[in-house]
Amino acid sequence: MILNDIRRFSTSAYPEELRQSAWSEVLARLLLANEPAPRGQPALNGHLSGHISACSSAFDSVFAQLASSPQVLLPLADGAHGHARGKHAGTVLVLALQAGHGTLTDTQQADASPVGIHAGDIMLLDPAQAWRIELHTDFRAMLVKLESASFVLRLVRTGAQELNRISTRVGVGAVCLGLIQSVADELAYIGRDELPPIEATLIELLVTCLSHRSQDAQERAEPEDTNPDTTSVQLAHLRRVCRTLESRLGDAELQIDDIARLEGLSTRYIQKLFKAGATSFTEYLKSRRLERCRLDLGNPALAHFSISELCYRWGFSDAANFSRAFSARFGQSPKAYRAAPPKDIEEQLRRGRPAQTAGPVAPPVDRSAPAGDDTRRQFQNLLSDHARYAIALALSPKRATPTSHDAQHPHHPPTDEHQPPPGHYYLPVSAKTVHWGYFSRSIKPVLTVHSGDIVTIETLTQHATDDCERMIAGDPGAESVFHWTADKKAVDRRGAGPMDASIYGRGAGEGFGVHICTGPVYVQGAEPGDVLEVRILDIQPRPSRHPEHEGRLYGSNAAAWWGFQYNDLLTEPKKREVITVYEIHHGHAHPHAKAVYNYRWTPQTDPFGIRHDTIDYPGVPVDHATIDKQFGVLEKAVVPVRPHFGVLAVAPREKGMVDSIPPSYFGGNLDNWRATKGARLFLPVAVDGALFSVGDPHASQGDAEACGTAIECSLTGVFQLVLHKKAALADSFLSELDYPFLDTPDEWVLQGLSYPDYLAELGPHAQTQVYKKSSLEAAMRDAFHKARHFLMKAHQLSEDEAISLISVAVDFGITQVVDGNLGVHAVIRKAVFPDHSGELTPGAG
Amino acid sequence: MDGHICGPGCTHGVTKENEGEIKEEFHTARRSFLRDAMVMGGSAMSIGALGVSMSPAAFAQSAQPGGGMTRHFYIPAHANTVLWGYFSKSAKPVVEVDSGDYVTIETLTHHANDDAERMVKGDAGAESVFYWDKQKKNVNRRGAGPMDAKVGAGGGEGVHVCTGPVFIKGAEPGDILEVRIIDVVPRPSGNPAYKGKSFGSNAAANWGFHYGDTLTEPKKREVITIYEVDATGERNWARALYNYRWTPQTDPFGIVHPTIDYPGVPVDHKTITKNENVLRNIRIPVRPHFGTMGVAPAEAEFVTSIPPNYTGGNIDNWRIGKGATLYYPVAVKGAMFSVGDPHASQGDSELCGTAIECSLTGTFQLILHKKNSLPGTPLADLQYPLLETQDEWLLHGFSYANYLAELGPKAQSEIYSKSSVDKALRDAYHKMRHFLMTTQGLSEDEAISLMSIAVDFGITQVVDGNWGVHAVVKKSIFPARGT
Repeated sequence: MILNDIRRFSTSAYPEELRQSAWSEVLARLLLANEPAPRGQPALNGHLSGHISACSSAFDSVFAQLASSPQVLLPLADGAHGHARGKHAGTVLVLALQAGHGTLTDTQQADASPVGIHAGDIMLLDPAQAWRIELHTDFRAMLVKLESASFVLRLVRTGAQELNRISTRVGVGAVCLGLIQSVADELAYIGRDELPPIEATLIELLVTCLSHRSQDAQERAEPEDTNPDTTSVQLAHLRRVCRTLESRLGDAELQIDDIARLEGLSTRYIQKLFKAGATSFTEYLKSRRLERCRLDLGNPALAHFSISELCYRWGFSDAANFSRAFSARFGQSPKAYRAAPPKDIEEQLRRGRPAQTAGPVAPPVDRSAPAGDDTRRQFQNLLSDHARYAIALALSPKRATPTSHDAQHPHHPPTDEHQPPPGHYYLPVSAKTVHWGYFSRSIKPVLTVHSGDIVTIETLTQHATDDCERMIAGDPGAESVFHWTADKKAVDRRGAGPMDASIYGRGAGEGFGVHICTGPVYVQGAEPGDVLEVRILDIQPRPSRHPEHEGRLYGSNAAAWWGFQYNDLLTEPKKREVITVYEIHHGHAHPHAKAVYNYRWTPQTDPFGIRHDTIDYPGVPVDHATIDKQFGVLEKAVVPVRPHFGVLAVAPREKGMVDSIPPSYFGGNLDNWRATKGARLFLPVAVDGALFSVGDPHASQGDAEACGTAIECSLTGVFQLVLHKKAALADSFLSELDYPFLDTPDEWVLQGLSYPDYLAELGPHAQTQVYKKSSLEAAMRDAFHKARHFLMKAHQLSEDEAISLISVAVDFGITQVVDGNLGVHAVIRKAVFPDHSGELTPGAG
Repeated sequence: MDGHICGPGCTHGVTKENEGEIKEEFHTARRSFLRDAMVMGGSAMSIGALGVSMSPAAFAQSAQPGGGMTRHFYIPAHANTVLWGYFSKSAKPVVEVDSGDYVTIETLTHHANDDAERMVKGDAGAESVFYWDKQKKNVNRRGAGPMDAKVGAGGGEGVHVCTGPVFIKGAEPGDILEVRIIDVVPRPSGNPAYKGKSFGSNAAANWGFHYGDTLTEPKKREVITIYEVDATGERNWARALYNYRWTPQTDPFGIVHPTIDYPGVPVDHKTITKNENVLRNIRIPVRPHFGTMGVAPAEAEFVTSIPPNYTGGNIDNWRIGKGATLYYPVAVKGAMFSVGDPHASQGDSELCGTAIECSLTGTFQLILHKKNSLPGTPLADLQYPLLETQDEWLLHGFSYANYLAELGPKAQSEIYSKSSVDKALRDAYHKMRHFLMTTQGLSEDEAISLMSIAVDFGITQVVDGNWGVHAVVKKSIFPARGT
């Protein structure tokens, strides 16, 4: 099986009882087995959680990004994969640990003791040897399964230790780590045909690291122990010779003397090296040239060159000669080869070591060869391996290792003093009851409630400053939150970025997260593994308090730079941001919104003097003297309202601050208008007390939220918070819930996300990566997995039944394409299950 | 019933009573769109014209009225009235109609042979189309591929049994063909044992989004589920009867089909294991519609019926049912309208590859809008299929708006590897913006704001090569022009 089939794998797609076996099956493709962690912290809800993104190269090597809960990794035992060990001879596993720690034990040696391993370590592992990696924490690692990299393995074996850790502090090791890291970041954008040059570069780097090691070993070695080192020096020379030869293939006049001169070696010595590999310089040169010609002949991009032109290109001076040599080697004339389907090339590339017909023609065994069978094999292997990667190397672009720019995330929340209103379940919005632009498990709760309590929560839209007069003036709550003068900003931190705005200089928190969230509310007795049910009992408008607009309701829609339209406009200027202010007529039989005016965003200078050319920081007051209002826009359009909350969240389990923009397993910025009055949202509790927050109120939004925002309009919600303890959920669907689940009067809505748990899956830079890597395809895939899980677990359907039902009766829609972690939802009508009570909690009916 | 096609004066299939009913339907399903078009057009239309537009015949007024009398044709499904798996601009039309004429068209699902007992047997039309023994195969070409393809003639490159084409007199490239779906009824089983019932098949097939991504083994299985639909139309839901796993099937010519790789291969029920009692107590609300409907593209002689395109085709949107109207840009002379791929129900995304594939009969009115009558109306500049339902307008975005033109000579195979939901959304966004700007007279900024707050984007299908995302806008948003 090819790992490529599963470019992305996540245990979250599987019901709990199948997770371990699914995980083992995927690990087996990477030649790994696993055991549960002997010690260390349990994973969330005690579930095994694992994510893999993988890409396999045209040579069948695999680059895989792993993120998982604590466990023990072992080499795959014989037979477990149905292959003899010999099948994987030549395979090397390169494991680069990116986060987490544990130990590595060489169980090949009876008395070996565990060695500590840490983030930043690179280990070279031979799948045919015995070893044991215990990971005591959640971890992330890049695993590279290199095929036919036997020469790396030989270096591994000639090294001092069987378990090779590469120092990655400085020098080549650090470059190696950087390369692996950048491959991990770009994995989703690298095709199988683009991997070989990277693979080749990685091998070269590893070889270089290991040569340092073997030189060290050599220096320490006893004088009489010189024989193996002579061999490795010769191999190193041969490698250099091959590399030089590869770069000169096109030179028709190339002679062994030229190479000898270039490499500072004697002609005789070079001859000896090739002889050790059971071939000769001339023979090898010819085979390399023929191979290059063959690749060119199969390349459709070169179809306009004649065969003679191609063979001249690779140093053949006579076309007839070339044709004969080609036919003799490949059993087909160049012309016939060219006519054959080009997929053959890929087949040849994939098959790895050239097959007998294509390999260097082995002359009869020469007894006078300088070494025994083993040594000869080493030389032969080197030649064929080199031949394989040479092509990739020749094509390899010079690639700089990007340096990662890591934002500083201070781990302390703003210093909110709070007075929990005793026995009082009305949560007003003020500078003291909000956290702006981020979630965190360490924000102090503003209110503590018991399961079943009802809480009325006021929320504010962060776009109120688009028209301060209509949406802020005279409203004490809004004035408290938005207060910002030259010397005082009531809520300084806006976003999860650094307080000193050291990245972009936009302002404290950098606007990495924009939503004003009211809360958090601590729910007594809530623990990780429980489920919090949020019932939305009512949604009330927050009318304007300005004398001129008293009692009227307004909202703002920003067609912003993060919208789907931004780089795709018809009219000039091509990169504009436009704010449209709407009035909501809520006292009407058919509540609706109508546009009042719109204006183009102009650079705004905030009270601290920072200029915002685009909408890059929330709550910057727009100076209406700088803008040009167009009244009479959308004159005839009457938009039906769908009041809802874009953000409904419990605190994430991760430490530190989490950007409020991308939705995830803990809910957050789902931006689904179905989270409206009458709906119930179930969220998996990740921290003690659940820490529920709500924000991003919308008067109306369409599926996709195309231009970046909805009608952003301050609203007040009435919520009932019901806690479902894990123990009481028994074996129900909710007991396995590790994603937000929305239950409306007529429908169940499964919210697929491009990355269902992006923080776990994407690692330390998840909050940056998620904006780059999301796709609707992945969100659609996740929505499918969740709909299937729901139908199988909550309705006891078999998988085949669930799949048929999904195709004929479940509607998939695009939730949003603007929140980093893109969303696709699956809507299941309750009418499909006429006998079902609609309740999912045990004992509820 | 043979291949006889009924015209005016023939009572075959159309009685006086249902003629009346159809007219009645038409009054109630009346669209406001064209009337608005005239309002938009302003000076071009007289008040008098607005008045007449309330009567059915007058809908066709922008076209040649065909002697003042609309006619009603009936096209039965028969080996000589279908094209199987392709559109072709040069196929021989089964009938020529005038703008404004009605046509009742029988369509057959290409999955009928998953349970021939229920869906083919005793049904003369279906038997004629599906007839296939050692010597003879009534409809040999199935797909736009080569006639000597390994899996069978036409290569199964295109699978839908499409009834037609219908030639619309006077239609030329640049015109718009309006197709009103007046009625859709299920096709009752011809087998007396199943009197009063209709059946459909859902195949979780190798081209499905789920394929290879299943929890249980074997990972690469194909599963057929047979559903029952009430043929009288009284019960508005379908239920599952049984399912079975696809086993290699040998067709009458001796070719083995290890997977569902060719349409209309009769499934030998001796080789399969049926699981009864699947999806118990589950009711699938029916949404009868036509998955494939459209006009012939100009780009190639034979065009596979699978990927949808600017000429319509296999859009697979369940909203293309009774009461809906489609507007297609005419690409070839006579438009060459055909319809097939009938579905009893489907969810947005058609995830496993098919819907409840169930033979249906539709009644359509075909109205031609000549190019020179379009300027100033919402149909001016329409280069993609537009769907209008009772309450909504829908635009269909595809990964490639016109894949035949964009992907070049190998388009019909390349489209399968190049599609994405992201691209389809981009196209849906472009089309909706275009629609709002041209038909509602909005500026770009107005259109964009409206799209974010009041337009819903859904995933039509991810299984037809050219993936689809639709954009839905409610007519009630524009009360000034709505009904």
